[in-house]
Amino acid sequence: MSDVPAVRIERLSKSFGGVEVLRDIELTVNKGEVVSVLGSSGSGKSTLLRCINWLEEPDRGSIHIAGQRIGIDASGRKMRNKELAALRARTGMVFQGFNLWPHLTVLHNVMESPVQVKGMRKDEARRIALELLEKVGMVEKADAYPYTLSGGQKQRVAIARALAMSPEVILFDEPTSALDPERVGEVLQVMKNLSAEGYTMIVVTHEMEFARAVSDQVVFLEKGLLIEKSDPETFFTNPASERVRRFLELA
Amino acid sequence: MNGQAWLLLLDGAWTTLWISGTAIAIGVVLGLGVALLRMARIPFLDQLLVVYVSLARATPLVTLVLFIFLSAPTLGLNLDRNTAAILALTLNTAAFNAEVWRAAFLSFSREQREAALACGMTDRLFFRRIMLPQMVTTSLPGLVNEMSFIIKSSPAIAVIGIVDLTRVTNRITAVTYEPLPPILAAGLLYMLIVGVLIKLQAIAERKANRLAM
Amino acid sequence: MSEWAIVWEARGAILDGFYNTLILFGLSVTLAFVLGCAFAYWLETRNPATLALRGFINCMRMLPFLILAYLLYYGLPSLGLRLNAWTAGLIALVVYYGAYFGEVLRGARLVLPEGQVEAAKAHGFTGFKVFRRIVLPQLIIKTRPLMGNLLILCLKDTAFLTIITVQELTAAANSVQSTYFVPMEAFVVVILLYWLISICLELALKWAGRFGAKRGFEHV
Repeated sequence: MSDVPAVRIERLSKSFGGVEVLRDIELTVNKGEVVSVLGSSGSGKSTLLRCINWLEEPDRGSIHIAGQRIGIDASGRKMRNKELAALRARTGMVFQGFNLWPHLTVLHNVMESPVQVKGMRKDEARRIALELLEKVGMVEKADAYPYTLSGGQKQRVAIARALAMSPEVILFDEPTSALDPERVGEVLQVMKNLSAEGYTMIVVTHEMEFARAVSDQVVFLEKGLLIEKSDPETFFTNPASERVRRFLELA
Repeated sequence: MNGQAWLLLLDGAWTTLWISGTAIAIGVVLGLGVALLRMARIPFLDQLLVVYVSLARATPLVTLVLFIFLSAPTLGLNLDRNTAAILALTLNTAAFNAEVWRAAFLSFSREQREAALACGMTDRLFFRRIMLPQMVTTSLPGLVNEMSFIIKSSPAIAVIGIVDLTRVTNRITAVTYEPLPPILAAGLLYMLIVGVLIKLQAIAERKANRLAM
Repeated sequence: MSEWAIVWEARGAILDGFYNTLILFGLSVTLAFVLGCAFAYWLETRNPATLALRGFINCMRMLPFLILAYLLYYGLPSLGLRLNAWTAGLIALVVYYGAYFGEVLRGARLVLPEGQVEAAKAHGFTGFKVFRRIVLPQLIIKTRPLMGNLLILCLKDTAFLTIITVQELTAAANSVQSTYFVPMEAFVVVILLYWLISICLELALKWAGRFGAKRGFEHV
């Protein structure tokens, strides 16, 4: 069982209005791995992430989360919303714009899905939520409302919210792009801690240092094609593609 | 004015309150229904609702009350005064409330839905737990504002002979021959009711501002 | 369809009511607007009377229009001032909506950048001139949607005057329906006439909005 990859993507393609955004993407992410997805804007990296939990429906190809195919059921039909939701519950997502729910306190943002989706008992969910908030350094703000938090604090809460579902994989969609420069570090630090604890993560990012220090694999997307996939050392010192070399020079 | 007159006034105030209150309660829910139907953009029904909202906004309540009460019998309906009054107030307030709800729908961010789906919520769960509570909070100031408008328009029901807080002053005057005191006293009671609503609106506004991050 | 024919026969009465409503509405809105602007200027000045004015405006905001009409029509005679229904109704509309216009303008004044007023004063404008030339035009442009709402509210409140026996549009419908017993048809026609006026108002306001848009005021 342990050798089933957390995420397996095969021949994934997606177009928007005739423009191909992703073409024949192949990617396997093993349990405990951190994969950084790099590429210039418009390269399709966010779309790739959003296909993994089916926020975008791919045109072709397949995605397996911990061995279970998402979006299409065993008989080849499109999943109904309920089945889809059950599979999405096994992934976590952290957005560029945080997307916290403003009517709930920090604690209840984290507790909401375990209670409502998993049917977890409230005291149990509260205990776990407080543990996770401790982990991201936000436990003292548990009773605050999101509007009182800084961007970095919001994002740390959003990370705790994603962790609360004990996901097989956490998807990070440019988690530091909307932050003030001095707030970027605190979020990256939390993410580094998570990787050290063995969480499986796919991170779309522009933070080169982070990608280099934390990743097990770095992949590079260009116009919807996955043109480089290597370990961080190779990627940053001796990439195979000329395009990546130029990208690194500019960065 | 003696104690008897005050009792009559309070009785009129009660009539105003329960008839308006019933209409407000139905109108808030009905308005939400209309707003939801409009968001669904069902052809024909959508245009019909647009016409309803526009007509209801333009029709004076006095005219609407008379219309409903007087023409119901020709349609074979037998409405008593109170039912006709509640129906008219409801039709009026639901149209305004629908616009308040709709504005809240339109300003709701799509990103929150994605965050909910990504956590494994179904659309139904998302609506019930994430969207609706926020819509209630954002709409509340507008809804309470509309409540004070309905109270201020409610004297329209006097036109079909309901003895509300305004009409009751005629009754008292018919006995005392002093019109000024009961009218001023009725004004005071209206100010009390609407004043409370204005306070509530201010509180609701403060709460709603918290959501606008 | 004979009921509709009856209403058509009675069109004279309905049109009389329609004109009366239009005149009452047009006159009261114009005067109330002027009064509202005067209130707004009054609130600019710093004297103890502004407090009384604020109190008066807040009273109007909490009272139903009909209570004010009652006060003028039924209440004033006991103080020795007898007004006919039409005059009492008109004065009630002007006073009531004057307060509402004043309140809307005051709300917009609170968020007007103070620097403009200072710039005007630096150019040697006097208090009233600053208000008339610099402040008021902006307030009016900025509050257009709210003003529009007030116009519609005022139009609808003219119907209350039927209760104090003014022969306006709703009263006309009521008398036609009771004479010929055509309640449905009479009121449908009258409601459509109110709708017509309000649609014309909305169009006029939209057209007026272009005036503000040209000056970069409308960001919505």
